Amino acid sequence: MAITAPTRRLMHHVGLEFVEKKIQGHGKRPLAAGLSLTSMIDFLVVTVVFLLMTFSASGETPVAKGLNMPKAENTLDMIDAPIVVVVGSQILVDGGPAGNTRPIEESDRMQRIDELFNLLKAKRELWKQTHPTKDFPGVVLLQIDQEVKAVIVKSVFQTAAFAGFPNVSFMVNNLPKSAAH
Amino acid sequence: MGGVDVGGGGGGKRKSLDSEINMIPMIDLLMVTISFLLITAVWTHMARINADAQVPGPPRPDVEQEKTEPEKQLHIEMREEEKFVLVWKQGSTTVDSIDVPRKDVVTQEGAVEVVRFPDLADKVASEWKAKGQHSNPTDRKLDQAILHTDNKTEFKYIIGVIDAVYGTHRDIQLGPKTEKLPAFNITFAVN
Repeated sequence: MAITAPTRRLMHHVGLEFVEKKIQGHGKRPLAAGLSLTSMIDFLVVTVVFLLMTFSASGETPVAKGLNMPKAENTLDMIDAPIVVVVGSQILVDGGPAGNTRPIEESDRMQRIDELFNLLKAKRELWKQTHPTKDFPGVVLLQIDQEVKAVIVKSVFQTAAFAGFPNVSFMVNNLPKSAAH
Repeated sequence: MGGVDVGGGGGGKRKSLDSEINMIPMIDLLMVTISFLLITAVWTHMARINADAQVPGPPRPDVEQEKTEPEKQLHIEMREEEKFVLVWKQGSTTVDSIDVPRKDVVTQEGAVEVVRFPDLADKVASEWKAKGQHSNPTDRKLDQAILHTDNKTEFKYIIGVIDAVYGTHRDIQLGPKTEKLPAFNITFAVN
């Protein structure tokens, strides 16, 4: 194959006169545009670096469907702990059912939730068996809908405490401090 | 094709040190990496607010209990609609009681109603400065706040009050460095 000098080749094979004129310019702006590779690669590299720095390999804590968590400013970072979800009238521990809030709502009285208590106690026993040399941290995360009544919050809180999880944390969405003022 | 000159070269029959990087697979790789990172990116930041359910341990008759004076605790009453009541108590003795007019600052952020109590936060901060017991950076113990709420209060208002209490920070020495941490530890009243 013959060696030819570099030139514009885009759409040259079409063989139509008006296309030829269009791509060659002839007084108008040509259709074939040049792209500066250096700046494009710079941009791509910067984007990759930014996304890699903000990437979280640990994934995200799942939020139950239909649950709106409240927002707060003065928060702490998330930790790995069992999650108790209160959504609607259901109570879940790590995704599994652990009781119902209806009896508490009907009586309007703080009370121990037996199913939740037994599940959390079993989790505590299991942790102690698997980590015999370590102290039990006793941390539990409560993921509660913003509309849930205080009597349910207090009942879940106390049940968790009596089951051996005295370090209770409420999950919230982080509110940037600057947005608050 | 992009060229990369790695210097040297030399003369004669030595192989040239200039090499070329194929731009097309490189750009493809960058594009795929960006797409992957964008798809897996997490745009909501979850956090937690700590609370401590002070459960006493089982009684130990073999250990003699030291008699210590009870510490002052800040009780926050949020049962009334028009005011908060801040009560400093030492054991069962009321040391001081302050009324703080309740001004709910409610903003809508998507489906979530954000409730804030800036006046309460300011009052708690000034109260802690005046009466707080643990302010030395080497003292890791926190002042205790106890929240009293009725059964009907919605969770977002409870979080608003806890957030206001945790707005008061103090220096705490953790090893060689000093960090700003909340001055209070909060828990719920049983009644």
